Amino acid sequence: MIWLEGVSCQRDGAMVLDTVTLGVARSELIVIEGAAASGKSTLLELAAAVRMPDRGAVWFAGRNTAGLQRASLPFVRRNIGYYSPDSLLLLEDSALANVMMALAVRGESLARAEQSARDALALLKASELENRKVASLSTGQRRMVALARAVAGPPPLIVADEPAAGVGDEARATVASALCAARDAGAAVLAATTDAALADLLVGRGGRRVHLEQGRIAGAPAIGLVPALTPSPSLAEPFQPRIITLEVDDGEAEALPPATRGPA
Amino acid sequence: MKAVWLGHQLRRQVQVHRWVILAASAAFCLLTLVAGGARLGARTVARWGACVGQNVHLIVYLTDDVDQDRAQDLAELLRRVPTVAQVTAIDPATALTRLTASATAFGLDSKALDGLEPAYFPRSLEVKLAPAADLSERACDLAKRLRPVPGVLQVDAMGSGLARLSVWVKLGRKLGAVVLAALALVTLAALATVFLRSRGAVARRAAVLVQLGETAAGIRLPASLWMAAAAAAGCGMGALVLALGWQPFVSRLERNLGIATSAPFPALGRAEIAMGFAVVMLVGLAMGYFATPLPRTSDRA
Repeated sequence: MIWLEGVSCQRDGAMVLDTVTLGVARSELIVIEGAAASGKSTLLELAAAVRMPDRGAVWFAGRNTAGLQRASLPFVRRNIGYYSPDSLLLLEDSALANVMMALAVRGESLARAEQSARDALALLKASELENRKVASLSTGQRRMVALARAVAGPPPLIVADEPAAGVGDEARATVASALCAARDAGAAVLAATTDAALADLLVGRGGRRVHLEQGRIAGAPAIGLVPALTPSPSLAEPFQPRIITLEVDDGEAEALPPATRGPA
Repeated sequence: MKAVWLGHQLRRQVQVHRWVILAASAAFCLLTLVAGGARLGARTVARWGACVGQNVHLIVYLTDDVDQDRAQDLAELLRRVPTVAQVTAIDPATALTRLTASATAFGLDSKALDGLEPAYFPRSLEVKLAPAADLSERACDLAKRLRPVPGVLQVDAMGSGLARLSVWVKLGRKLGAVVLAALALVTLAALATVFLRSRGAVARRAAVLVQLGETAAGIRLPASLWMAAAAAAGCGMGALVLALGWQPFVSRLERNLGIATSAPFPALGRAEIAMGFAVVMLVGLAMGYFATPLPRTSDRA
């Protein structure tokens, strides 16, 4: 589904990620663990097309998103459910409307978007928040709504940065269940956490663990980490998103540059 | 972007930003009032200028022994003077009719004029001079030359009136320009405030939509549409106020100033109104478009 190929990233002259290669296949969940400032969030931002690498390539749907024009990036981003603790929400809108928005941007009908949004909130045990304005929610509740927005659908790829930050044991289990449910529905899930309990929960449910230390993959290549530039067979499969393709039908696909060959 | 989704976004934004939209409508209403008022004001002043003395710069009163033929001869003589643009012979009956009409326009009791007869009025010639900067001097000069002419009883060069009118018109224009400039500044300030408020209001929504993968056009279109709609509503309101309020306002002003004219009231033409609507809606579209900031999701993406 996504293939980060030798990506490097610097911030203020310091190397944050150093030639990291990592792939996540469909129906696969990878948990990235690492200390603070080990490069987890940057790696996730690269995967979510929020940030571009200084070196290397990020293959998604057969295209190197690092080489795409700015105008083409929205067509990539709408296929990715991205969550971070500081994800923005619309404060004047209800929780349901916030979750629906991600689905509507992907091209879902309003009725279907509403149903999927309700399902996602229910998955995170936040159904009672549906009609409440986000402005009236606590920080923890807002994070649940933001996470519901990321997993609603689900999109082909879910990228979750610290999905259980600041939550209790019960909520942690709920978050793990939601991520695993999305994985089971066919999404590729890439989560980063410093929360060992969450990582254990996810690994216990079939997730794969990757350690990141000072911007590099630590130790021997883990399962799910592709050491060479040869993609796994699943990555070589043509991208068949269930929600929307990059070749969107609103006439803006022409903005994409000629397709570059992926690792396939 | 799907039309249903666009409609949903529009409805939501109108609900959330209703105060900004109302402020935008008010600002565009003010813009219409200033622009339309300036245009109508200029026409009204021209109307007053045309009616004051019906552009008559000189009145030559003739003696009682001058009959209509002699009056026509004198008129023909005057038409040959290079500075004269037009000469009209006024018989006593016409003079009485005009006096009665003026009295009625000023709201005077017409019964007071019941006893008057045309014979009380002398025959006269109304002389209009060709446009010139020294109109007052020319009128005085021509009056001096006409006074010794046989058959001429008196010549009113209206010199003091013309000079006073010229001063008042100049002063009025300057005051009008100052008021217009002040109103234009207020309008610009109102539009700038609306622009900045809109920017603040839609910034967060734009940031969320960028994060979710909405295109730039999809993010900016709803704000452009509601701003254009607000502009159209404001423009319509302004046009309505001008259509309903301008004539009564000018009538009252003319009554207070003692200006009586039968010339039609100035109004905005359909083409002007349509053009105004188009311009204001375009301004609204552009304001909504540029008021929506597109934040970068990172420093390199």
